[in-house]
Amino acid sequence: MNGLTAVRSLTTLPVVTLGGDAVAHVKDTVFDPAAGRIASFTLTGRTLMSGPLPQDLPWPAVHCLGRHAVMVRDEGALCDLPLSVARRDALRGRLLGAQVLTDDGDLVGTVLDVLVEGGTSGRLVAFRLAAHRELVHGSRHRRHQVYVPRGEVLSVSGRTLVIPAHATTYVTDGLPAFVARAGAHHDRGRGAVR
Amino acid sequence: MMLFSRVRGLPVLTPGDADRVGVVRALTVDAASGEVTHVRIRRGRLRREAVVAWSALGAVGPDMLIARPAGRPGEAPPHRDLVGSRVLTECGEERGTVLDAAFDPATARIEAVLTTLGELPAGRLLGLGDHALVIRTGHGHPG
Repeated sequence: MNGLTAVRSLTTLPVVTLGGDAVAHVKDTVFDPAAGRIASFTLTGRTLMSGPLPQDLPWPAVHCLGRHAVMVRDEGALCDLPLSVARRDALRGRLLGAQVLTDDGDLVGTVLDVLVEGGTSGRLVAFRLAAHRELVHGSRHRRHQVYVPRGEVLSVSGRTLVIPAHATTYVTDGLPAFVARAGAHHDRGRGAVR
Repeated sequence: MMLFSRVRGLPVLTPGDADRVGVVRALTVDAASGEVTHVRIRRGRLRREAVVAWSALGAVGPDMLIARPAGRPGEAPPHRDLVGSRVLTECGEERGTVLDAAFDPATARIEAVLTTLGELPAGRLLGLGDHALVIRTGHGHPG
């Protein structure tokens, strides 16, 4: 299994060719929630003041996603894209801030971050959520952040995600504990994080 | 075997009359082929830098280089400093910074690259650009 990467940390990551040149920076990560993986990256220019680029980086053109750079074979990996289309796709594929429900209809929380598998996978593994009171009991003044695996089925309706109810049994407070529990979740076979 | 750090600053003399042309400022490398391709010579504060193909050098000694600069910087490939560049694997993981490199002056082939995290064989070099030196992910070197 490749290392897990938080999607928020991908923003500003350089896009680097195998020739060693940085050709852009990551602006946003666009998901294909139904497929459960990264669909593309929207991009900004390399300098501090440069705005969004009229190009995006589709996931199939990514050579490897690492902790310090998104690697592409060459500059030809970037695809020309009208800005209006890029904005529409980015809005549609944004998961941050979306509400998460179980398939039993219980509110789980709001997405703060998304964990994806790096390397050549780009698979959506889990969510970091601002947990709803019913999921994590405790002081109302303390905002609980928890990790929840995405489960094998993930349906999307507007800005709401629906995950299997049994995925909430693997809720953890910290990332190391989540990685250990995700392994157990994986071992459940059909209930595995795929 | 020579080190980049030893070549830098060496005087460059013309063949025959041994006039001093300048001093070596840097070596340009082609990371994909793993070779030193050009020498960049600083000729003084007010004169433009000269570029000489490594294959056009008359002689290479431990204390000087013999060359007659003929080319202009525009004719040479763009220069990227190998020494000081960050090292990035093809999987997007940083692996320190280049401290020095060893090469064979007879063949211009780079033998090894010394980084802050250890030595890299030249066979792992993929490309050197404005952001990093990209290397292949070696066996037993995750990421």
